[in-house]
Formats: sequence, structure tokens, C-alpha cells
Amino acid sequence: MSILDAVRELFRSDRKAEEAQRKEEEIRRAFKARCGHFRALLSANKRALSSMASLEEALSGERLFGMSFVRAKCTMIITSVFNMVRHLNALSGNRHTELFDRIRAVQQRVGNIVSPKNGAVSGPLVLPLGVVNYSLADEVGAKMAGLGEVGGKLWRHIPAGFVITASGYRRFIEAGHLQEEINRRVQMTDLSKLDAVFALSSSLQQLIIASPLPDDLASAILEHYRELERDHPGARLAVRSSAIGEDAHGASYAGQYRSDLNVTGDALLDTYKEVVASKYGVTAMTYRINRGILDDEVPMCVGCLQMVDAVSGGVAYSCDPLNREEGVIVNAVPGLPKAVVDGSAEVDVFRVEREAPRAILERRVARKRFRLESAPGGGVGRAAVDEAQGAAPALSDAQVLEVAEAALQFEEFYGLPQDVEWAFDLSGRLLILQSRPLPGMDDAAEAAPLPEGAELLLEGGVSASSGVGAGTVFVVRRDADMLRFPKGAVLVVEQAHARWAPILSRAAAVVSEYGGTAGHLASVAREYGVPTLFGVANATRTLQNGSVVTVDAASRRILAGRVEELLVLKTEPRLIFSDSPVYRTLANAVQYIVPLNLLDPESPEFAPANCRTLHDITRFSHEKAVEEMFRMDETLFEGRCGKQLKYKGSKLQYFVVNIENGFCKPVKGSFVELEDICCPLMHALWEGMLAIPWAGPVGATGRGFWALVAESAGNPDLEIARAPTRAWRNYFMVDREYCNLQASFGYHFCTIEAQAGDAEQENYVNFHFKGGAANLGRRMQRVQAIADVLAENGFIVEVREDALSARAEELLASEVLELLLILGYLIIHTRQMDAALGNDDSQAAFADMLRKGIAQVLKSGVGTE
Amino acid sequence: MHILVVDDEHEFLELMMNRLQKRGFTVDVAPSGEQALERVEKERFDAMVLDVKMPGMDGIEVLRRVKQLRPQMPVLLLTGHASVEVAMTGVETGAVDYLLKPVPINDLIMRLRDIAARKE
Repeated sequence: MSILDAVRELFRSDRKAEEAQRKEEEIRRAFKARCGHFRALLSANKRALSSMASLEEALSGERLFGMSFVRAKCTMIITSVFNMVRHLNALSGNRHTELFDRIRAVQQRVGNIVSPKNGAVSGPLVLPLGVVNYSLADEVGAKMAGLGEVGGKLWRHIPAGFVITASGYRRFIEAGHLQEEINRRVQMTDLSKLDAVFALSSSLQQLIIASPLPDDLASAILEHYRELERDHPGARLAVRSSAIGEDAHGASYAGQYRSDLNVTGDALLDTYKEVVASKYGVTAMTYRINRGILDDEVPMCVGCLQMVDAVSGGVAYSCDPLNREEGVIVNAVPGLPKAVVDGSAEVDVFRVEREAPRAILERRVARKRFRLESAPGGGVGRAAVDEAQGAAPALSDAQVLEVAEAALQFEEFYGLPQDVEWAFDLSGRLLILQSRPLPGMDDAAEAAPLPEGAELLLEGGVSASSGVGAGTVFVVRRDADMLRFPKGAVLVVEQAHARWAPILSRAAAVVSEYGGTAGHLASVAREYGVPTLFGVANATRTLQNGSVVTVDAASRRILAGRVEELLVLKTEPRLIFSDSPVYRTLANAVQYIVPLNLLDPESPEFAPANCRTLHDITRFSHEKAVEEMFRMDETLFEGRCGKQLKYKGSKLQYFVVNIENGFCKPVKGSFVELEDICCPLMHALWEGMLAIPWAGPVGATGRGFWALVAESAGNPDLEIARAPTRAWRNYFMVDREYCNLQASFGYHFCTIEAQAGDAEQENYVNFHFKGGAANLGRRMQRVQAIADVLAENGFIVEVREDALSARAEELLASEVLELLLILGYLIIHTRQMDAALGNDDSQAAFADMLRKGIAQVLKSGVGTE
Repeated sequence: MHILVVDDEHEFLELMMNRLQKRGFTVDVAPSGEQALERVEKERFDAMVLDVKMPGMDGIEVLRRVKQLRPQMPVLLLTGHASVEVAMTGVETGAVDYLLKPVPINDLIMRLRDIAARKE
């Protein structure tokens, strides 16, 4: 060979080597990318399943949630599933693009269900009250529709006025793109925290008040006002909320929204916005949250009624809301009826026979200290009432009978007991301001005899909601006090203001010094079934903050301490949420998300075309991705494909995928020995798994551990009866500083993912555990025991039904390995333990067993192998 | 890891800056889509955290343009706007994910590190 040839040859082989190296580098990169996609798919899978678990938990109906929760979870699941499909297609060379269409189909269904339903602006923006009747309830709200009926069909006097309609409201909201912004802010708030709800309420109300009214709406409102002014120059208005659906579920809505009295023409537009904004008052929002009412489906219609110069006014019930007494109840005050509705004043109460000829059966005339009246510059002011006038009844007997008759007329017309707000004007005319169905009535409870040895603290007042409740006294004087109100305490207030309503769902009982059963707070108390006693003199002074009392509302007594004999009678609070619109919306959406129809990967049914739910798509994508990872082209990815694990000569049902530097040396063939894996994380995990021999399935004989490991993973019929697939593989993905284990043990599934490098802030351990063969209660006990033990070892743990997620981060590499030892031990020793659990004792014993095991595993230490 | 956070809420940007810097990220912020695009044209970032609802150019449009300028740069949408439709458009346009505010800072950091590790 000439020198020249030799040089050429040298170059050629150099080139060859270079090329081979380049090719190797390319393959290495391609493989790493595949592993990246697979990892990403697994974590999207985990996110999707965990959000599905929280939807399922919400469906159990034990916890309140709003539409923002439903939308957030659905959004999260859709994006996670989309990401799974994207990564699956990257892995498979776009072999599963059909799945994108499946997702889109489901997304449209779910989107239609959970998206805000903003009705169209379809009718007039403003309607004169004279034309309003029930057929227009969708545009004017039940309150104004009812008033229109009373005027039009029953020939009663109602004030002149007009209604700014649901279309008007939508026009306003739409013009400022307000709904999206409102939903966005609600979404970002933790609605279970009252202080956060206060802040949200304030920000939403400011948002609405600061938004300009569109010109067409503003001029329509002013035009109707000028029309009114033609007959009544300088007319003042009562501007009242009349939300759609306001009275649909019982009448407790009333009083949650703002109503402004004696509004001047120049203040009308601003007042309108303020009333609209009151849709987001704290009381109204908490009410909607607690009742599961959809925010978007409550358009705020606003009635603008000519102000009545009321000589006297009040509220009448066509029968006693507490069913204690026969007859029509008429509550009356001198001046505007607002004082009765507020619960802020002493009130005369009359009881009138229901049957003709009607007689007044009872008069309880209170000492009125003030009256509310229209102030000259707008708004309402208090005027002192002199002693003689204060002691006289607010109504003449004839007036009492006139009001009672109207109430009975409305009851007959509507076929339901009515709650009527009314006033007598200067000319002595009876004007009807509102009539609506009376909220739910409680059965009368007999006054119980005073239990022996019980100490009576206070007696008297009126029962606004019967029942017995006990708790620690908490006196609320300011809004700020509400934020500190402990769950289960007895709420004690001076005035029965509507603004205390947000904390009623947390109160064991309510006591006030002033206020009557006609107010909003009373309605809400009845709705929640909270025992409530109003008009108890000196309550805020006698009942000491922090002392424990028992409130017996029906017997109108407050006793010291917890009186168990009475508490036995305690009524169960009504479960009102599971029939709510929000709940039904969730249940409706969930059917396209959670059910799993694809069960058997071997079946021909296991195909994209049969993916009906997001869970199906998740399941399918996961299965196909695992297949891709193990069916990789051996010639292209030589030595990198998943290999079966060998340990001390035995083949195990574990597979190992080397991401990049997870093997210490090139490994040929389809097996890898444990000692050829140089991933300290996997070694730690493995060591934890083997550290203590598993006692075996409950009741099983002492077969060797290895037999069990091999059997449990290798023989699906033996243990994994309910495993979703026969093709399930337990596998590790390893790199020098990373390990991911996906495994099914017994009947449960778990994944462990960890990273341990030099950068402490990037290190983490994730653990996910779900399932079991025993009933849900036992599975939950097992998960709870594991959760307790993990939390003790520094994990942040979250449990939803029988699914557990645990996370630890920012750890030293050595700490990561220690946690993996613990997890390795746990996944083996929790197998089938759900079957052995049954009561709290066994759960505690199980947790103790785990604690001892962990201590023993840690003592043996990392790297003793 | 060098991150660009885009959001029209000043307080949110400040919060992100503080918290992410504390956890070892290099953070730049942009208060609008337009300014974000200017930054992306001039500099390289390892990832972008992008709001969806912003006055001016909205997040989806910013995403579309970013994907033309820097197809490889991962973008995480982070928004208070929970809409299944918009989320779907977001991921179809190439966002790595669509996260909802308020996101626990640890979750966000995990996602950013995941993104960094995978170099999607």
C-alpha cells in the first residue's frame, strides 16, 4: 500500500468513525426526546386522573363548590388529556391523530355544559310597570312580575314605575365585557375563605360601578323617568332589585340585594349600577355559593317605583311562617316599611283570623322609638317618635283588616302562602309594594320542659327558626368580627341585620336583641335550619363571649352549657346543595369525563372510535404510549429498549428503560442485571422494597418473598384481578439522577418519580397511589394511614377519596434517597392491607406497623447492599 | 433558567418576580403582549409564562406569534380565565399547558422545571 493509500484509508476510517459517532449521537438524542415525551405523557396522565378524582369527590355532594371549581377542573382535564395525545403522537409518529377529533368532540359537549350562559339581549331594555305580568318574569324578575300581576289582575294599588329588564342588564354587562372579568376574578378567589369573599365582593362591585352604561340603555332609562315625571314632577324612586330566579327557591333572596329608597332623578343611573353591583354583595354571593346557584344565570332586573310617602308600612304573612299560631300575621311600623324588613326596629304584631268575618285575635303593640321617612335631599332618615305616638298602634283596626284581607287575596290567587310588603300613603290608600311566596315553614315544636339541673340564662323573644343548637358564644358587632367567627359557634348580635347572613351556615344557633321573624336573616336561618331566637333583651350583655350555651329556639330559652337532653331533639340541617344548578351542571359534565368504557386493551373495542369520555382517551393514550416504549425498533434504538430486570439470577416482572446514562455499561440482549444499572434512585427504591420481607397477602401462607413478587407481577389472575390490562407492565425509567416507577401491586396502582442531583432546588420526590380491592371505606382508611405516615416524613400529602398524592421537594440528594427507601418499603407493605382494615383501631395499628417498618428500613440505611 | 412572565397585572408580575427569583430563576417581565413580543425578538428565554386576557393583544395572539418567532420556546399559559374552549385553543396553538390562577407557586415551579428538563 502506498503512503498515499494509507493516508486515504486513514481518512476514510476517520470519516467512518465520525459518521458512526454522529449517527450514535443522533439516535441518542432521538431516544432522549422519546423519553421526554413519555415522561411528559405520564405526568399529564397523573394530572388528568387527579382532577377527575376531585370531580368525583365533589359529586359525593359533601362539600360546597361553585361553577369556577367545575370550570377550572374541566379546563385542567381537557388540557392534560390534550397534552397526553400530543405526546403520544410524537412518540408514535402521529399514528393516533384521530384522538384529537375525539377530544374536540368531548370538549364541545363539556364546553356547552359548563360555559357561562349569557342570554341574548332579546327584549326591550326598559318596560313600564303597567304592562308587566308573569309572562314577562324572565325579563323583569319574579318580584316585579308579581307586582305587575297584583296591580293588573287584582286591582290593588301599586306605585307607578318601570323596570330595567334582564335585556337591559345584559346590555350593560355585555358592553363592558364584564362577565369574563367577573368570572376571572371569581376563579382566582378561594371562596371558602370569608375574608377573600369580602375582598372579591368589593372588587367586583367597584368594577361594575366604574363601568359606564351604554348610551342606548342610559337614554332608555331616562326617557322612562321623564315619562313618570310628567305626572309626578320631581318624582323620587324606590330602586329595587328583582333578580331572575330570586324567588324561585324560597324567598330568602330578598334583602340580599340592594334596594335604594327615595332616589332622585339625577342619581338614578348611578343607583341602578349600585343595585346591579349588589349582585356581588357578600351576602348574595355566599348565598349563591351555598345554594349552588349559577352566577351567569342570575341577571339583575331593577324596578324603579315611585316613592310612597308612607304614614305606616310593614310586612304581612297570610299565615304564621312558624306555624305556631292560626291566622294572618301583620307586622307594622309607623313610616316606611323598611324598618320591618331590616329587622332594625321594634314592630307591632297583629294576628287576624283567616276566616270571615275576620277578627283581630291578638295585638302586640311595641314601643316604637323612631320611624323611617324620605329625607328631603334623597335617601331615608330616622325621625324620633314621641312616647305617646310610639306606644300607640301603627295601624287602626280597619287598616289591619284591610292588609290581612289583601294578604289572603294574594294567597288565594297564587295558591301559596304570601309575604306581602305594603304601605299606607298620606291619602290613606293601601299600596302593595311586593308579594311573594312565604319561605319554607317549620313544623311547630312544643316547648319542652326545662331539663333538670339546667341553668336558665335568658328567656323570651320570638323564635325565627326552631330547633336546638349549642356552641360557644361569639358576639358579632362589626363586619370584621364575622371573619373571626368560628364554625359551630352561637352567633349573638344586637340587630338581626341581613348582613350577618354569610356566617349563618357556620352558626350553631343565632340570638339577637332586636328584629323580627319577617326579616331576611330569619328567612335564611329557616332555610339553613339554624335555631334562631330574636328579640332577646340584653343578649349581648348577658351571654359572655367564649362561654358555652344551648339555644332552644322553640321554647325561647337560652341555657348554660351543653344540654344534651335537648340537643337530642336537634334537627338535621337540610341538605340543599345536591339538587342545586351547580351540582347538576357538574353531574351533567362528568358523564363525558369520568366514566371509563375502555377496559380491555386486547379487545377490538379498545380503539379511538370508542373513546367516549376523557377518561377513555386518557386510558387509551397511556396504554398505547407504554406499548410504544416497549415495542421500539430494536435495530434503531439498539440496547435502549425496555429490558427485563434480572436480580440474583432470577428474571423478574419488572422492566427497565434507560433514558440516557442509567446503565453503567452497554447492555446487549433483552435482560439487564440490577448491578448494571447505575441509578442510585432506583437502587434506593429497590432496597426499600426488599428491606423487610412482606408478610404476604392477608391470610396467606409464608411463601417466599420472591415467589410473591414474581407471582403478583407475572400472574394477573392471581392478584391483579381488577387490573385494567393484562399487558400492564411494572417498569422503571432510569437515568443517573432520575427514576420513575410505574407499578401495579396487588390491586392498587402507584407511581413514583424522583430526581436527585447536585442542584438541591431541582430535586423532588412525587408519589401517587390509588385503588384497592376492598370497599371504598377501607381503601380510604388505608390511604389515610399512608398519608399520615408520609406527612410525618416530610411529604406534602393530598388525599381524595382513595387516591393519594404526595410530594417533597428542594431536598439534598441523600434526602431523596432516604424518601425513596421509605416509599419502596411502603408500596410493598401496603399491599392488600385495605382488606384487613375495618375500623379506626385497625387503621391506627396499620399506621404504627408502617412506622416501625420505616424505622427499621432507615436503620439499615442507604447503600448497605 | 431564564423566564419571561407576561401579564397586565402589575402586582402579579412583582409577585412572580420575587418568588421565582428566590427559587433560582432569572426572571424578566412584560406588562403587555406587544412588549413581550419585542423582548422575544431580541432575546432568548428558556420559557414564557403568558396571561390570556390582556388589553391590547390577547395572550392567544401573542402565543401564535411567539410560535412563529421561536417555535422551540415553551409557553405556559397562566390565567384566571377558566374556559374549556380557550384552553383548547391555547394548547392547539402550541402552549405547553394552560394553568389557572391562583396556581400554587410550587406547582408552577415544578412545571417550569419539567419543561426545562424535557426541552419540549
